[in-house]
Amino acid sequence: MPPKGKKAKNGKSADSSSTPGEASTAASLEPFPPAEPGPSTSTAENKPKGWTVFVQSQIFFDITQPPTPTWIDRSVLEGKGGAEAAALWLAPRLAVTHRLFYPNELGKVLGPKSQEEIWKAVNNSPTFPLRVIKRRQKAQSFGIDSRGREVGTYTLPEFEAREERRIKLSCLLLLSNRFSELRDRERRGFDKSVVVTEQEYLEEKARRKEMAQLQKKLYGTQGMAKEGKLALDPEWDDVTPIKLEEPEKALAAIAYTADYAEAMSYLRAVMHAKEYSPRCLKLTEYIIEMNPAHYTVWLYRAANIFALKLSIPDEFVWLNAVALENLKNYQIWHHRHLLVENYWPVIASDPRAIAKFAEDERDFLTKILAEDTKNYHVWSYRSYLVGKLNLYSDPEELQSIEDMIDADVRNNSAWSHRFFLVFLDPKNSSPGVPATQPDSKVPGHLVDREIAYAKEKIELAPQNQSGWHYLRGVLAKGARPLTSVEEFAASFVVGLGEGENEDVRSTHALELLAESYIGKEEPEKADLCFSRLAEKWDRIREGYWEWLRQQS
Amino acid sequence: MNQPTLPPFDIERQLKYWKMCLDRPLPHHYLSNEANRMALAWFIINSITILTPDLDESVGARTESSRSDSSVVARTESPTSDSSVVAQTESSTTSKQLISPISPEDKPKLRQWVLSHQQPGGGFASTSSLVFPLHAHEQWAAETGTETTERSGMANAPGTLFALQLLALLADDDDPAGAFNGVDRVQTLRWLKRLQREDGSFGEVLRQLPGQGWFIGGGYDMRYCYIAAAIRWMLRDEELPADQPGYVEDIDTKRLMMYISMCQSYSGGFAGSSRDEAHAGYAYCALAAIRLLDRPLETLPGYYHSELIYKIIPDMSRLNRWLAWRQFVYLDPNTPSVELDPSSSASVEDGDIVNFLLPKSPADLSLLTAEDKSASLLVASNGRTNKVADTCYTWWVGAALANANQSAFLHKNPLFDWRASRRFLLEKMAHPIGGFSKYPGGPPDVYHSCFGLAALGLMLEPGLEHVDPDFAVPLNTVKVIEKARAKLFEQPKRASALALDLQKMGVEMGGSSTPKWMQTLYGFT
Repeated sequence: MPPKGKKAKNGKSADSSSTPGEASTAASLEPFPPAEPGPSTSTAENKPKGWTVFVQSQIFFDITQPPTPTWIDRSVLEGKGGAEAAALWLAPRLAVTHRLFYPNELGKVLGPKSQEEIWKAVNNSPTFPLRVIKRRQKAQSFGIDSRGREVGTYTLPEFEAREERRIKLSCLLLLSNRFSELRDRERRGFDKSVVVTEQEYLEEKARRKEMAQLQKKLYGTQGMAKEGKLALDPEWDDVTPIKLEEPEKALAAIAYTADYAEAMSYLRAVMHAKEYSPRCLKLTEYIIEMNPAHYTVWLYRAANIFALKLSIPDEFVWLNAVALENLKNYQIWHHRHLLVENYWPVIASDPRAIAKFAEDERDFLTKILAEDTKNYHVWSYRSYLVGKLNLYSDPEELQSIEDMIDADVRNNSAWSHRFFLVFLDPKNSSPGVPATQPDSKVPGHLVDREIAYAKEKIELAPQNQSGWHYLRGVLAKGARPLTSVEEFAASFVVGLGEGENEDVRSTHALELLAESYIGKEEPEKADLCFSRLAEKWDRIREGYWEWLRQQS
Repeated sequence: MNQPTLPPFDIERQLKYWKMCLDRPLPHHYLSNEANRMALAWFIINSITILTPDLDESVGARTESSRSDSSVVARTESPTSDSSVVAQTESSTTSKQLISPISPEDKPKLRQWVLSHQQPGGGFASTSSLVFPLHAHEQWAAETGTETTERSGMANAPGTLFALQLLALLADDDDPAGAFNGVDRVQTLRWLKRLQREDGSFGEVLRQLPGQGWFIGGGYDMRYCYIAAAIRWMLRDEELPADQPGYVEDIDTKRLMMYISMCQSYSGGFAGSSRDEAHAGYAYCALAAIRLLDRPLETLPGYYHSELIYKIIPDMSRLNRWLAWRQFVYLDPNTPSVELDPSSSASVEDGDIVNFLLPKSPADLSLLTAEDKSASLLVASNGRTNKVADTCYTWWVGAALANANQSAFLHKNPLFDWRASRRFLLEKMAHPIGGFSKYPGGPPDVYHSCFGLAALGLMLEPGLEHVDPDFAVPLNTVKVIEKARAKLFEQPKRASALALDLQKMGVEMGGSSTPKWMQTLYGFT
């Protein structure tokens, strides 16, 4: 800060910002820089370049610390040569004072020669105070700035700019305290006229952001009281986060961001307090954005929705967007499941609402399955939904699955869902019968229909496992023997065991033939199938075919 | 098949990868597994244990006669007995003992870290971020097993499984029986019982939902059924009479088995629920869960024969068939040596092509697998029909086949092509910096790296611990679990005997007859 008559204040503020320390540098403690007399006015701009806070501070120290009586013995002044000593004592003070504040005045009083003599006397005199003056041994630190630089080495304009920030921060702090006061009064509720408006909340939020930036610029991250997004949000003032402290030895720590660590520490605090509130809901959204795979956060979100009795359809809308952004995530689908369980009582007695809900869900599922056609968790949710809303015989559901199989005949997830739709429909099946076991309640025409369907799709891709699994599954369910499709299977196998003529279009067909022959007690034929599989057509399962042959 | 050549397996490089995972924080992209930190810890410690077999037979678990037996078998039946294999693998996997990066001094500290996740209501939290300071649990009422606050219910089923196994993996060499010191067996089993749903299935967590009471969270997932069976086996003693201290009512095993049996899909594999698609991971879980329900408390590893699986699994032959069909010849999309079926699947994941490529016809495939070419055959496994190759399914499929055939010696399993599977893991999935990736050319991660090692351990890879197919941990660690469990039961027995003596002494000194409450409670007069 330039002198401009603010000497006292400058000194004071510099002191208040400084912390005792040894961070100074020797260079900054040089005695006076060489005199540079010349045209100047008493402003900071005209101070010599490199005139730092340290230099300024040293000068003030020298001026404002008069020599103590022990330093200049009165007898010296009174005795012989006392006048000279007195003059020597006084002259440099005059010189210094003048040089600092009245650089031009000195020139007016003394001629150049006189000035030179004074400086010479000052510099040579062994008793001159500037040489022996009791100086601070070490410069006091003015603090370290955010980049680790000693504030004492700031040039004066730099220092001025820093002071501006400090003043601004102080003012903001006052305003912020005022806000907190008001908000506390509002919460106490004795004076109903005290209302903190939304606008004031937003202002405070912006203010804290600014304060944090100023604080960071001034002091770096060290010693900062508040830094995180939530710590700066006035909405979270009353929550003391429960920070996670890692012991000396811990396993599998993850290098996550400070934002995530902060958010989790607030989550711990509100879960601990069992708080359910809109801000907690927002917190879960914030964490889910960073890590959508934290099951606890999802459960806590659900708890908030139920506690606050929030609209479940609204949550579906939000969830759809999150699901599309996180295709591989499965907590989302558990959350959805839980929501449906809680939404169901609302719509259960309203067929139109159920139909509407089913349609919305199917639209969304179609959309998300288009992104990832075999996503296990989506399919799992879909089958749950079919059971919940009883959509087994909904023609649209079956059609939707047929479309998917038409698009990719190897999509086993779609095949599996089809089996579920047709054969686990409570209308057509007995409860408690495993999928692999025959069920007499399954209507014969459905079995016929599905056998035909499987055959048709197998013709399209004879080596497709999905179709053969399905065909076998349908046969078992309908208690039809494998022999009933023997002819069909045989159509994929030509000239077995006939050397060059032998051709197999589907190893699954050959396998089925073998089992069919076993069923008909034609072991030689079965043996041939197994050995041809082992020797040529499916060598990687050689051991399996041998094992089957021994078993039969 | 003639004896194919085997690629060498660089154990030291693998260990280097795991040392890195042990010493440094995992990179940021593991954030999505932050909730499963205990599992990540298990992957790291289990892998290091598999990689550093204890060749010094004098140590605790090794001196067991049963262990020596299985070691003998392991040695004589190991792949190294094929002379050609020895030549191939000797350079990389000699009998040189690798030093575990986990020092004996660190083990108690790491166990302490694991134990710090134990919840007052039983079970373990699955991540440190759900561990609250002690004062948070003040309202816990231990006696009744009920609780009034949300915070008491942070225990998680997978977290508990992995924590218990970590304690065994990190047991002190000179005190394997002390591995479970500090585990609240009774509360954990009580909590486990509360995780079971009406239909017999298990969830992973218990939470109070406002206005709805207790909710069993975690979806319908065969993994939790397996985990429940595993925790039960690790902590339960069937013999303990109901009137003894330390007795806990069992889970409903009947309903659990019923639930599992209903999850076999029409294809033969198992799904998470009766409605869903068969999945190799769930098939493994279903089989291992049933086996663990009748696994003896102390077993000769690899030898116990479960009768229960034949009773519970509706169609065992279809399960075998489905598991055998999970294996397929892996065709590299970049160097197609056969004509490919254009409709077979290949997709791009993080810039790499993952695939389930099929030859245009079986004839093309038969050319590829002809005898003279089979030496370089790569066999991958998928988790579902027509899905892509993935390291972990070599484990899930291989271990499920080992269990279905009741033998821990996977290299003798007729349904599993261990040579070509091993070749696939080492040539396509092992990463140059160590570890295994999810798909060929991908980056390694702790999950796939751990199960890649477990699969090799199941194939008796020289230089690795032999792995128990029910648990994916070394057989030696299972022995530690058995001892640690036994010790947990000694304590209450000792304590109750002491209490009885004191009471008797008090009665005698008082010169009166035994009070009625004492008669009813302890049954003595």
